Amino acid sequence: MLTPDERERYDRQIIIKGFGEEGQEKLKRAKALIAGGGGLGSSTATYLAAAGVGMIRLVDHDKVEPSNLNRQILLWDEDIGKRKVDSSIEKLKRLNPAVKLEAIPETITESNVSQLVAGFDLIVDAMDNLPTRFLLNKAAIDNNIPFFHGAVYGFEGRAMTIIPGKTACLRCVYRGLIPEEKFPVIGVTPAVIGCIQATEVIKYIVGLGKLLTNRLLVYDGLKMKFTELKVKKDPNCEHCAHLTSKG
Amino acid sequence: MSTKINIYPNLRHYTDGLEAVEVEGNTVGQCLDHLVKQFPSIKNGLFNKNGKLLNYVDIYVNLESTYPEELAKSVKDGDEIHLVLIIAGG
Repeated sequence: MLTPDERERYDRQIIIKGFGEEGQEKLKRAKALIAGGGGLGSSTATYLAAAGVGMIRLVDHDKVEPSNLNRQILLWDEDIGKRKVDSSIEKLKRLNPAVKLEAIPETITESNVSQLVAGFDLIVDAMDNLPTRFLLNKAAIDNNIPFFHGAVYGFEGRAMTIIPGKTACLRCVYRGLIPEEKFPVIGVTPAVIGCIQATEVIKYIVGLGKLLTNRLLVYDGLKMKFTELKVKKDPNCEHCAHLTSKG
Repeated sequence: MSTKINIYPNLRHYTDGLEAVEVEGNTVGQCLDHLVKQFPSIKNGLFNKNGKLLNYVDIYVNLESTYPEELAKSVKDGDEIHLVLIIAGG
């Protein structure tokens, strides 16, 4: 049940056709885990908190550095040297005090990933490296938790939504590892991709529209073009092949 | 027979900034050979030292994945190939 204040605060989204108070109540009950407090994490966390997602857990082990500030918009100049999760949560609290926020200043590893995601309704992949993305993908599959992937490089971005057992997973699409490097990026790219991830999360929770499943969305900011690549479950996928498709 | 290969931004430094290159060939492999003939340095961005396709290069024909037999996939006049590299930044 929404309070009068909540009805007023979320009025403009409640009046979206098909959204309604019921949709807002679903957002209020939802628990989202955001893995990564960088450019993508800043963007998704901001819009999920603003939309009224009831609980957000943000996981990131890093401290704020000056080179983060071109894109990690929850982190400001005054935050340099502080833990990213603490600085981000402090801003999100001011944005929407009703959201339950949890800062986890840990590195995501094989040994803690299942514990970190347990009990959550969804996982946002806002990481900055492929090995941890794969750890999260596998944990999402193993725990039957929807997984919202996003990645950036320069002016390029990718996004895809994964429903375990039903759609292609990250490992079905990406089989290799890329060489580790300091990746180039301009802040607007994770802003675009993070907003797409947040849109997918909101659609999933509320039950609206068509999810970005079995489709890898490729964003080319230099050409200002979106391309949709069709992907499918890999019957030999090392993460999800054991799950039977339910449609 | 002409096929268009779409080159994504992080490969365009191999193609003098070109976003698309016209190639000829009956398979994806032949089309990539023709691409390499036009822009020899792109070979390093697509293949390892043994000539095997790098496992972080994904190839789509008419927007559909060609995995797992990427290079053997047949193409016809007017088809479009997309060369996509995995990215992982956040």
